[in-house]
Amino acid sequence: MTTTDFLQLVTNGIVQGSMYGLIAVGYTMVYGIIQLINFAHGEIFMFGGFGALAVYLWIPWVQHIPLIAALPLMLLGGMTASVLIAMGAERFAYRPLRTAPRLAPLITAIGLSFVLQQLVFLWYPQPAGGTAHLGVTAAVPFPNFSGKPFSVGGVLLQRAGLLTVVVAVLCMAYLAYFVSKTRTGRAMQATAQDPDTARLMGIDTDRVIVVAFVLGGAFAAVAAITYGLRFGQVTFDMGFSAGLKAFTAAVLGGIGNVYGAMVGGLVLGIAEVTTSGVLADYHVTSQWGTAWQDVWAFVLLIIVLLVRPQGLLGERVADRA
Amino acid sequence: MTLEASLAGQPRVSPSLAKALVALGTVLTLVSTFLAWTWTPDFPGDLSVNGYPGGNQWITLVVSVLLLVAVGVSYDVPGLRWIAPRGHVRLLRGLALANLVSTWYVLLAIAFELNGLANWVSGSWVAAIATLLPAAGSFLLADDRREPQRARPLPRWVQVPIIFVAIMVAMFVADYGISTGYTEEFVGFAFAIGFAAWGLNSSGVLTRLTALTAKNRVVTSLSALVAALVFVFIQNGDAYNSVADDILIFATVALGLNIVVGLAGLLDLGYVAFLGVGAYTAALVSGAASSRFHVAYPFWAQLVLGIVVSMIAGVIIGAPTLRLRGDYLAIVTLGFGEIFRIVVNNLNGQSGPDLTNGPEGVYGVPDLKLFGYDFGRTHTLLGTTFGKFGNYYLLLLAAMAIVVFIFARVNDSRLGRAWVAIREDETAAEAMGIHGYRFKLLAFGLGAALAGLAGTINAHLLNTVTPDQYNFSATSPPNSAFLLAAVVLGGMGTITGPLLGAALLYLVPYKLQFFNNKQLLLFGLALILMMRFRPEGLVPSRRRQLEFHEEQIAEAEAHEAVLADAQGAQEEAGAAA
Repeated sequence: MTTTDFLQLVTNGIVQGSMYGLIAVGYTMVYGIIQLINFAHGEIFMFGGFGALAVYLWIPWVQHIPLIAALPLMLLGGMTASVLIAMGAERFAYRPLRTAPRLAPLITAIGLSFVLQQLVFLWYPQPAGGTAHLGVTAAVPFPNFSGKPFSVGGVLLQRAGLLTVVVAVLCMAYLAYFVSKTRTGRAMQATAQDPDTARLMGIDTDRVIVVAFVLGGAFAAVAAITYGLRFGQVTFDMGFSAGLKAFTAAVLGGIGNVYGAMVGGLVLGIAEVTTSGVLADYHVTSQWGTAWQDVWAFVLLIIVLLVRPQGLLGERVADRA
Repeated sequence: MTLEASLAGQPRVSPSLAKALVALGTVLTLVSTFLAWTWTPDFPGDLSVNGYPGGNQWITLVVSVLLLVAVGVSYDVPGLRWIAPRGHVRLLRGLALANLVSTWYVLLAIAFELNGLANWVSGSWVAAIATLLPAAGSFLLADDRREPQRARPLPRWVQVPIIFVAIMVAMFVADYGISTGYTEEFVGFAFAIGFAAWGLNSSGVLTRLTALTAKNRVVTSLSALVAALVFVFIQNGDAYNSVADDILIFATVALGLNIVVGLAGLLDLGYVAFLGVGAYTAALVSGAASSRFHVAYPFWAQLVLGIVVSMIAGVIIGAPTLRLRGDYLAIVTLGFGEIFRIVVNNLNGQSGPDLTNGPEGVYGVPDLKLFGYDFGRTHTLLGTTFGKFGNYYLLLLAAMAIVVFIFARVNDSRLGRAWVAIREDETAAEAMGIHGYRFKLLAFGLGAALAGLAGTINAHLLNTVTPDQYNFSATSPPNSAFLLAAVVLGGMGTITGPLLGAALLYLVPYKLQFFNNKQLLLFGLALILMMRFRPEGLVPSRRRQLEFHEEQIAEAEAHEAVLADAQGAQEEAGAAA
């Protein structure tokens, strides 16, 4: 394996990891505040993709303008879908159970993830000659960029990949600003540290929780669009494995820590892509290669839990939000 | 009648009239089941015969007989009052509704499927009107809900037959449900069961029976075993035995999961992977043609290997995760379930070393032979023919008995109490000297081992082991999502709960093919709604109920204490006077 090949793997890993990081932010923020693993977050991600696709499919002129101009509109559609689902989940599924035993909201979250997935599977409308065809059984094509990938010293970077990284950087910059500089962001930190005291200090903790869900949903929508652009398709069950990976990323970086989510995502992305790439290169029959990518990610999770359960950045209480 | 009572919606009909209405309606319904409900045998079950009941009429007939008994309660027939310690009106309402809904469903189905009310004959009209009367009458009666009166303790020679009969009845009901032949029959059955169960439960008779079974556990377990054996002896042929086998596997695994989730409170989302580990281990050393190990170990050795390997997998997964908060376990087990599938897919000799034969799986797993008894052949025992599925039924029954036994013993032991303590509050439990991590690992390992046990049998039952059988979610059980749903729906921490949950979750999709692809949606909804409104499940465990309804129970107890104080004060005043 040449250095260029290796750098190519790392680049692919960074792109993949940026997406994991964007999804992981949603897990980690919600977990930081109410200690709930929002299992349905993977499905919120998936809804983002289908929301964006709906704008593309159902508004006729969107398909005729350049993709880069259509993207903001699609982003709006995706975010609307994700955020509405996230808010609904919080309001109707999780909030009533806030004082229930721990297992109850977790099981609710799993149930919710089924329901959301099946809603798309059964009833997502696709235009079919003037009418709507309901349901998604196979992968649905997602618009993607035409044009050659950029080449930097032999390392290829797809247009969608570049967009993913840029968007991830922008989102994280905004999140850093939001959490540390805005009033709501600081209220979020306070709630994460101690909800009861925060409430006594006049913080509307219910609102803070909703904001965490909304932000997580919006970021997931962004991630879903980059997913669609990169792979050229969305599927109704794409939330399952993406959600699982993103949660791994959140744990890797230190759950509850928003910067940790991004770091964890990048580490996970780079690790799984390079490990399987290097192993595939090493074996003639490409044994232990790409088919094992998810397995290496899982092994990494187990190792981190064994060696450094608080995550790479640890749960820095002051930054937790 | 006072103003207050009329505002509260008290009916203005005298109770004796209402009761008479119920009684009359019940008798008429009973008569109607012997009449024809339609003129053509086109409707499934042939309801066109005058003189004896057929098809769905049997359901109406049985419910009507129950309703007659309940009418007896309302007329204070001696000996019957035991049935309704918490009041008979709800019993009447439940049974009347069971009859009404189930019968009207059939009658409407006749009208819809055969196109028009013209297909009703005089018997249908009798049934339609007759089932309305008890429902109307029972809702005109004032609700007599009350605290259960303490019954005189029954002599032991009465208790034992009551338990036996109750369990046999439950078995026959289950048998009827399993062997319903067409959708209308199953739906009518489901309606009847649902409303009848509500009535029986709110009249308090189920609580009484539960108390009886709790007092006579040996008798209960023996009766259950006998009932389960009778089930297989009354089957004609192997068709429904295969359904029963699937339910038994599903229920056994659900029960194993219940140790992990219900007792120790560890949310295991990849439980089916341990079943898979057991199944693959057994299949690989069973002498299957496609196994790369050309060995054929005896069954006991496969069993031990399957259990041990599953347990090792459980410890590998559990050891790093159980030190951390419970949420991590959920996600790691979810990951493990997914990884298991990927790994067995990849160990195909191409993308990995050859071990599991990839997506094709290990096929040609031979049928079991135990003590010269070939499970693949047809045998005749005590005049009954046992096909393959009948044979495995017996084996699975034994496996289930083992799991039930372990569950029951562990639940009552120091170990079980330690698990419950950890589940409720780990910090407090550790302060009391319980080594949390060690006990949690034990629960997790035991759960994995039991799944491995079921897996080894499953491999032989299905003769094939493929990666696709062990998914997180699929449209048919067992998979991790169904298992969790069975435990949650049935009731965490109980034995009957997961059995009931497993039977329901298997039978409903199996019998009602029309919502085939909506199963997962409905399960998701069921999980959400159960957690919101009845987190303790259909069969609540006493401990769980206390845990989930802490506030309400505390309130009720405080109220009782106040009442008792007031009464005490009154008595004192009386004594002083």
